[in-house]
Formats: sequence, C-alpha cells, structure tokens
Amino acid sequence: MSALLLLAAEPKVSLTAQTRILAAILALAFMLLILELIRRDKLQERYSVVWFVAGVGMLVGAAFPGLLSVVADVMGVRDTNVALFSIVLLLLLGLALNFSVIMSRQAAQITRLAQERALEKARTQGPLDSNGNAPSAEGAGEAESQSSRS
Amino acid sequence: MGELLVLSTLVFIPAWNEEASVGAVIADVQTQIPSADVLVVDDGSLDATAERAREAGARVASLPFNQGLGAALQTGYLYALRQGYDFCAHLDSDGQHPASEVARLLEEVVADRADLVLGSRYRDKGDGEPADGDDYKPTISRRIGTSVFRFFLTLATRQRFTDTTSGMRAANRRVMSLFSENYSPDFAEIESLQLAVRQGLRVEEVPVRMLERVEGTSFLTPLRSAFFIFKGLIVLLVGMFRPRSVEVER
Repeated sequence: MSALLLLAAEPKVSLTAQTRILAAILALAFMLLILELIRRDKLQERYSVVWFVAGVGMLVGAAFPGLLSVVADVMGVRDTNVALFSIVLLLLLGLALNFSVIMSRQAAQITRLAQERALEKARTQGPLDSNGNAPSAEGAGEAESQSSRS
Repeated sequence: MGELLVLSTLVFIPAWNEEASVGAVIADVQTQIPSADVLVVDDGSLDATAERAREAGARVASLPFNQGLGAALQTGYLYALRQGYDFCAHLDSDGQHPASEVARLLEEVVADRADLVLGSRYRDKGDGEPADGDDYKPTISRRIGTSVFRFFLTLATRQRFTDTTSGMRAANRRVMSLFSENYSPDFAEIESLQLAVRQGLRVEEVPVRMLERVEGTSFLTPLRSAFFIFKGLIVLLVGMFRPRSVEVER
C-alpha cells in the first residue's frame, strides 16, 4: 500500500547517496548508544523502547526519503520540512510530558518511602527518658505488631 | 476535657529547622494537653530540631530529606492512624499557635460536633470583634493570598472558610484515614479542606488566638506567593472534577 503511494508520489524529497549513508550511520550509532547505555545500567530497558523506535524511524527516513513527502501529503502540508519538524516536535512534546508523569509518580513514591522510614524510626525509638537515655526493648516489639497491622 | 483522658490523642508538630522554638511549643502542649502524646515530624531539618524535640520529651519522626509541609502533615496523620489514636491535632512549630487553643479545637472533635476543626485567626469570636487583631497582624501578601483562596475555596466547597491556610487543626479517625492516603504534597491546606468537604465530612472553623512568630521567618516571598497561589488554583480546579467518593479505608 505504502509502496504504491511511494511510486505514485512525486519525488519531492531528494537526498544524495552521501547524505543518506550519513543519516543511516547516525541512526545506527544512535541505536548502538542506546544499547551501550543499557549495558552499562544507565538506562532501563523499559525506557529504551521509545528511543529504539526513534532510531528505527531515522533509519527508515534515510532508506526511503520519499516517504516523507507521502506523510506531508497525508498531513496536507506542502513543505516537507514543516511536516518533518512538526512531527518531531509533537513527538518530543509527548515524550517530555510522559517523563513529567513518570517523575510525578516517582516523587510520590519517594515521599511515601520517606514517610514509612520516618514512622518506623519513630515507633522504634521513642522519646528519651528523664536521664536522656533512649528507652529499651518494648518500643521494638510495638513496632513489629504495628507494621503487621498496616 | 475529661473525655480526652479516656480517649487517646496525638498532637503532632511539623517542624523544619525550628530548633529555637520547638522545645517551647512541646512544653506548651504538654502543659495544656497533658493527656496527649506529642509527635514532632522533623521535615529533614538540618539543625538540631530532632534533638531539641527529643529532649523536650516528644517522639520524633524524622523524614530523611525535606519534603514540604504537606508530606510532613501526612506523616503525622499516618502515624496517628496506624498507632490507633482516636483523635489528633497539629499546630505550627514556630510558636504562633498556643496549645490552649489547640485544646479547644480538640474539644470540638471529641464532642463529635465535627470531623475536622480548623483554628481560624480571622473568624469573629461572636461578640462582633475581629479575632484578636492586636495579637496577629498578617502581611499584605499573606492577606491577598488568604482572600483569593477564601473566595475560590468557598466556590469549590460551598462552605464559608475564613482562614484557609490555617496550620492548626484537630481531627478524628475518619479524617486521619482520608488524609493519610489522599493529601496533596504540593498544596496541603486547601486541597485537604476541599477533599474533606467533598467526602461529606463535617468541617468546622473555630476562632482562635494566634501569636506573632517567636523565631524564624515566614517562607513566603512575593514570587513564592504567586507560585503558591497559582498551584492552589490548579489544585482547586482539578479537585472540583475529582470523583466524589474515593475509598476512604484501605
């Protein structure tokens, strides 16, 4: 289907072989970078998928530059550059929003974690007695029964 | 007050770098509400707040890093809920809130006249006089912020509140279980009121006497105030479209 459209479309986008090879190399290097980051535990697999998709997109763009004019036609945009930039911009916007959502969730988790730790410590180490010593054992037992209830 | 002796009460004090005043506040609570346990929620203080609090005989829950007032208050509610307290109250750690007034708020919840009681420094005491204008003089930005919130909160809850950001409150277990799960870390004071009213809880304001700050300065600068108000409005707007009955008990 897309191949037919591709043949039908005017070759509005024309890249030299040199540019296309360079673009393909960049795309491959980008994907290798993602793999390397995962290997070094700097990026979790679950957050790498979207970047692989981006890398594949770059590779496809390098292999079939005519595809962009098809997309531009579908969007009703005359200038293929405008189509390219608006697509990339929207994707990045969505990605940034996605990260804000993830960040908010993690902030809430961190807060709850901090609270749980604070409560745990408050249960085990009660107020100092009049001599300034921490009261002993009973606090710890109480903490155990409390945590099983919660 | 007699009932306070039978039923267990927790008074908690969120504190952030208040080593100078926290001891006196604890002593005040211990004198005025002797039957209550005192918990200081140390919100990642860098000074000796936790040590001063422990020396004064309070339990201390120390958050490992500063999380903001909302998270600190929620920690207190969570503690009260899990430790099985019947009632809880909280007041500021800077000495603005006399514990004798907190005791009056507690009486309201113990008498079951309300689920959540706020101490208001603005609401008239009934005799026509504004509530102790001599004791408490709010700054201009504080006054503007307060009236903006008052307006929107009234709109959102259809109940009149005068002192929306009051940090002096008393609550029963229904409020504890609600607040320990649903409490906006960004905008604790306003959203919690809206939430409580929407859940059908009885929220009541009681006029109280407040004092000038003993130590430290208010965290509100003009820019922060603007940001504060902006966040508050978003919170209120979103809150209006939240589902009405959230699961209260886990």
